[in-house]
This record gives sequence, C-alpha cells and structure tokens, in this order.
Amino acid sequence: MISPQSTCNATGFPAEVVESVADRLICIEPDYREHINPIQLRRMPRILRMGLASAQICLNRANNVSPDAIIVGTGLGCLDNLEKFLLEVLDHDEHVTSVLPFINSTHNAVAAQIAMLLRNHSYNITYCHRGFSFESALQDALMLIEEKQAKNVLMGGIDECTDDFMKLHGYLGYWKKPLSNLRLLADKSSGTIAGEGSAFFIISSESSPDLPKAVIEGVHTFLAPKPFDENNVAQEIAQFLQKAGTDRQEVDAVILGLNGDAVYDRSYWALRNNYFAGHTEFMYYKHLCGEYYTAGAFALWLGSVVLENQNIPDKTRLTRKSSRPIRYLLLYNHFRNTEHSLILLKNGQF
Amino acid sequence: MYNKSQKYKQVMYPRVYVTGIGIISATGNGTEETLDSFFNLRTGIGKLSLFRSTHAGIPVAEVKYNNTILAGHAGIYEHVNTFTRNTLLALVASEQAVNNSGWTDTQEKHTGMVWATTVGGMDFNEQYYRSLLESDQHKDIIGTLDSADCTEKVAARFNIRHQVTTISTACSSSANAIMLGARLIRTNRLQRVLVGGSDSLTRFTLNGFNALEILSPTGCRPFDMNRNGLTIGEGAAALILESEETAEPDRIICELRGYANVNEAFHATASTVDGFGALLAMEKALESARLKPLEISYINAHGTGTEINDLSEGRAIEKLFGNHIPPVSSTKAFTGHTLGAAGAMEAIFSALALKYQILLPGLNFEAQMPELSFKPCLKADPYPLNHVVSNSFGFGGSNTTLILSKA
Repeated sequence: MISPQSTCNATGFPAEVVESVADRLICIEPDYREHINPIQLRRMPRILRMGLASAQICLNRANNVSPDAIIVGTGLGCLDNLEKFLLEVLDHDEHVTSVLPFINSTHNAVAAQIAMLLRNHSYNITYCHRGFSFESALQDALMLIEEKQAKNVLMGGIDECTDDFMKLHGYLGYWKKPLSNLRLLADKSSGTIAGEGSAFFIISSESSPDLPKAVIEGVHTFLAPKPFDENNVAQEIAQFLQKAGTDRQEVDAVILGLNGDAVYDRSYWALRNNYFAGHTEFMYYKHLCGEYYTAGAFALWLGSVVLENQNIPDKTRLTRKSSRPIRYLLLYNHFRNTEHSLILLKNGQF
Repeated sequence: MYNKSQKYKQVMYPRVYVTGIGIISATGNGTEETLDSFFNLRTGIGKLSLFRSTHAGIPVAEVKYNNTILAGHAGIYEHVNTFTRNTLLALVASEQAVNNSGWTDTQEKHTGMVWATTVGGMDFNEQYYRSLLESDQHKDIIGTLDSADCTEKVAARFNIRHQVTTISTACSSSANAIMLGARLIRTNRLQRVLVGGSDSLTRFTLNGFNALEILSPTGCRPFDMNRNGLTIGEGAAALILESEETAEPDRIICELRGYANVNEAFHATASTVDGFGALLAMEKALESARLKPLEISYINAHGTGTEINDLSEGRAIEKLFGNHIPPVSSTKAFTGHTLGAAGAMEAIFSALALKYQILLPGLNFEAQMPELSFKPCLKADPYPLNHVVSNSFGFGGSNTTLILSKA
C-alpha cells in the first residue's frame, strides 16, 4: 500500500507515524524502478505508477498468485491527465499536441494497465462513484467469489490529489487551514485534511497460512436519507450485522471515518455515544491518510493489520486499551454525509 | 428445438428479466421514435450544432434538443443550468424506463441502481473549468463535474438509496453496468435494479478521438470495405432488470440470459487484429448463458466502423460461428458511438429486436469487407429471434458481451 505513511515496504503498522503541517497529505512513494520497467516508467502518469507499484507489491506478498479478476475503485480516476487534456483542448483552440493524456485520462486506465502488465485476460472493472468507489469494488470481489467465478481477486482503491482538485473543493469548504495531521480531531473547525493513496488486496476464497487472516463478512453501502437522520445509520448497521449473523454486542472494535470536520463527524460521534455505547473499542485513521474518496481502502488495510496482530496501534486508538480479543471489527465511513459504507471483518482464527 | 426446461434445471440463480426500457439518442427520443428510425433507415448522424468547435466539420450524432428543451423532457424546471447535459439525458431515459416497467413504489422491492458514464459532467468542465481556476464564481457546479453526480441525481429522483454505484470502463461501461445489475439480482442482493449509461457530446471526447485519428469524415460505415472511422454520438439508455421472483409477467420484455467481461490486455486503445478479446468475451458469455453458437439468432455488433474494430470483431465472429454466422449488424450508423451509453443502448435495441421479432439494420454499407465472409443485414425485416448477442468493447481492452433471450 502506498499512502502518506511509510507503508510501502512495511508488513505491519509502521513504527513511526509521519507528521505534516499541511492542508493535504501526500503519498510517500517508493522507488518505482523496483516495481516497473524503467522504459514504461518514463511516460507513465503518477497515478498509474502508484497503482501498478502497489498492485505489484500486493501480488508479491501473495506469492504472485495469478488473479482471476482485477477490480479497481477510484473516485477521481486519472484526474491529473483529464485536467491536462481538458486544458489543452480549452487553451489551444482544440489543436492538441499529444493524445497521451486523453488515453491516460480514461477512468479504467489503472485496471487496464495492471491487466496488460500481468497479461491477465480475466474480468476487469473500474468503479467511479465518490465515497462508494472502493466499497463497490470490494462487493464485486465478494460476489465473484460467491458465484464461484473467482478464487483470487486483485482489488484496490486508488485516488490521487491534484492542485486543481484542492482549489475547486476548497471553494466548497472541504479543507481546513494547514494544521498538524496529528491534531486533526482536536481542531474544532469545519473541513478536513485532504489525502490520497493506493491500496491493493488479494480477496481470496481460500485462507493461506502465510497471509493475513482477516475474513470479510460483508460490505454494505447506502446513500444518506434527506433530511439526514442519525437513527437511520444505526438501523442500517443493525440490519447489516444481522445479515452477517452477528449483533452489536459482538463487535469488538469499530474503525470510524472521523476526519475532524465538526459538521460531518457528528454521525460518527453519535454512533459511539449511542448505538455502540459501552464496551466497543473505537479507532480512527484519517489523520494518517487524509480524506479522499477511497480512504476506505486505508481502513481495510488497517483493519486487517489489527485483526492479524490482535493489537490496536496507539496512534489510531480513540478509546482506552482493553484486553478483549478482537474478533469482529466494523468499518464505518462516509463521504460528507452522502455515501455511507460499512465493512465487517472477522478474525478467521477464532 | 431447444428444450428450455431441461437446460434450466441446472441453473441455481433466479432468472433476470428486462421489464422496462428508456432511450434517448440522435435517432430518437423513446422506443417508438427509435423503431421508426430503424424501419425508415433514418440516421441520427449530422452536423455539429451543440457547441462551437474547431472540428465542426466532422459529423456527429447529436440528440436534437438543446439543454432547455431536454430539461423539460427530464421534468426539471428549476435551476436548469445546474444540470449537466449528461444528467438531463440520463433523467429522460430513466424516467421512460421506470414508467415502462410499471414501477410506482421504490420501497416495495429491494431496488438499486448501477449507472455508467465515461466523461460524466465534462460539458460543464469545458464551460466552467477555466473560470473556476480563477475564481469561485461558479462554485455551485463543482459537484457536477465528476462521474457520480448523474447517478446520484437519478437515484434521488426515484428515491433509490441502496446499492447505488457507477462503473466507468470506457466504451463498455454500460454493458458492464447491466452485467453488475444482473449479478446483484442473481446473488439475491436486489430484486430490481435500474441500470444504464449516458454520455453527452463534448469537445473533450471529440478532440480525443480526433487526435487518435479514428473519427470518420463522412459518418461511420460499420463493416464496409471502405469504412473510415467512428462517429461520436450522445444519449442515454436505461433498463429495469427484475428477478423472476418479483417481475410481473406482463411487464417482461425479454430475459437477460448471459454475460461476460474479459480484458484483452493488448493495447490501451486498439484491439488485436485476430479479435482475441472479442472471441473470448462471446465464448464466455455463451458459457454463462448455457448456449451454443448455433442457438444465437442475431448479433448486435460493437461495429464502430474503425478499420481495426470491425476487422477484429468480424474475425472473432467468424471463428466462433464458422459456417453458421447469424445475421450481424451494427446500429452505430444510426446513433453514433455513444461511449458510456452504447452498451445499454444496444442492449435495448436487442430487446426491441426480440420483442418485435425483427432484425436491426446497418446503414451506409456499400461493399463487403474482403477479409470477411459476411456482410451486415440492412433492413428491419421480420425474423425469428430466440437469443441475441450484444457486444461492447472499450479502451483498456475492456470487452463485454451480453446475451438477451426471448422471454
């Protein structure tokens, strides 16, 4: 996984957390020459580099299994190239000098390039729906396994932050003034800190002794009702847990998508104070990766690390330490209170 | 004859039916106008009038309404200029499909939505992006620039809150949206799903395809020896898919019987000359539908009219069907290539062909390709149809085949 933290080569949660004072967190990128052919690398846009390298890292860890499907979720797609080609069309009276940014602006470029790199002819899909992009991709992977169309699915979430995206969404009040990411939740203003990342996973129908042991019990997405109703979130969670054959008493930890926005964080706090009040442990992560459409991918990575190690990293802990083993772990995230998503993980060992 | 009941004993999933369709393209608003164009061989391809362009001499397939009139058809009367053309087109097609299916209450069935687009709100990007980089004057439209805005506006219209998502896989996008919709039903996640896709004409795509040197200077001529490129079109197409467990029998138009998506993994924009990806997609779709090539009655080809696509797809068809090639045509000489809407549009044409038991004609055809043993069918003649193959291929090697069957 490539993220604003040192996660490229780490197998677990990194020992040191990176602090930045900024309105956006930028990925720590690997030496791409280790992962991608230098000739191809030369003209490759950053998002493709990030996508190909993190997919490659993921496959290497999974003993280079040959995936039966490649699924990518990306809220913004290859936005940088899209902007480039758009401005070329607008500013040069439609006399474009290079068609490459047009080709690379296609939303499915990352998934397609991975397929080409692996010479993989299997199912290949890209989801581009804001805060649902990653979760839709994950659900597709689960469906393929359920339908016995796949045993191993290479699935990822990727988004790149661009200057123009920062500027435009700044007008809408998306971002806070530059601040330390480690003080994200302490800041009481509206807005959040922007982020980006590329995380790939092998979703497999079979467990393997040398792979992480998180079992994905289910994924659920819903658009918030208008006007918003906090009880609706609790209802959705209750139904989701019931379908997965469990209930809130059994959920040992919840990873919340808290992003420091005083307005939009309310539904997370409400959940902690009401529905899950009591014994559940709470975690947060967006101070580490920033807010972006596919931040759920970072949360899934964090969740699998926690389940595997049976340890909540202090820098992600919202509540005090309990000695309770973590069996069920729920991920709850939403993007500006519109696209809400739930992922339920279970430790496969007990 | 083929015995349905025996074959279906092996199927564990519920069948998926098409119970509603809606379409707006250069060749007509609604199914009646569309069919009329097919019967009268009336193309939607013509001169660009929507916006000024350096490349205005290149033919395109425009929907004949400006945004104000389109908004009226979409039932939007306030803040019309905050709706992208893409969203207006999508609302028009979805409204038709929903009404056609007899859908009155969203909550009475588990209902979701899967939409598709390639460039989403690109028309607004073109109008406002420059000025947005300078000031926040048009900040109201920032939320409309991406690919999900259209989906969420349509979902809000019909009060759909669960299983809403957007697929973007270039020109196969909406075929993939249909495929996902069917799988959501088969895996019992939904009982009913609104699926489809939309794209409006934009300078962005016009210039992109022009720079790739694959736009036809005359209007596309699928499967013709002298074909000279594709013609970009615009529009939206929406289908209502329902599980056999909840579909009302008298609403059933046809069955969505099989599907497959594969990746050619060959080139970012071109397909192989031997049609490897097209063949693989058709083979896998047949397998998923539990059908043999001989059982296919008609192929609605991707048939863009580019040198390479038609050769590649034609060869794949020859390999798969051998000496028994069913009637083949591409409807893109009517609608143009509508990108993110193309797969859903052609699924609707296939559904209409099945419903009315007619073939769909090609247009602008003069001479058979010397490399191929077949030529496209050219008239909307009555023809007994049981199973139809609909192909959609896109950039990034994304190849999808859908199989629709007589209900």
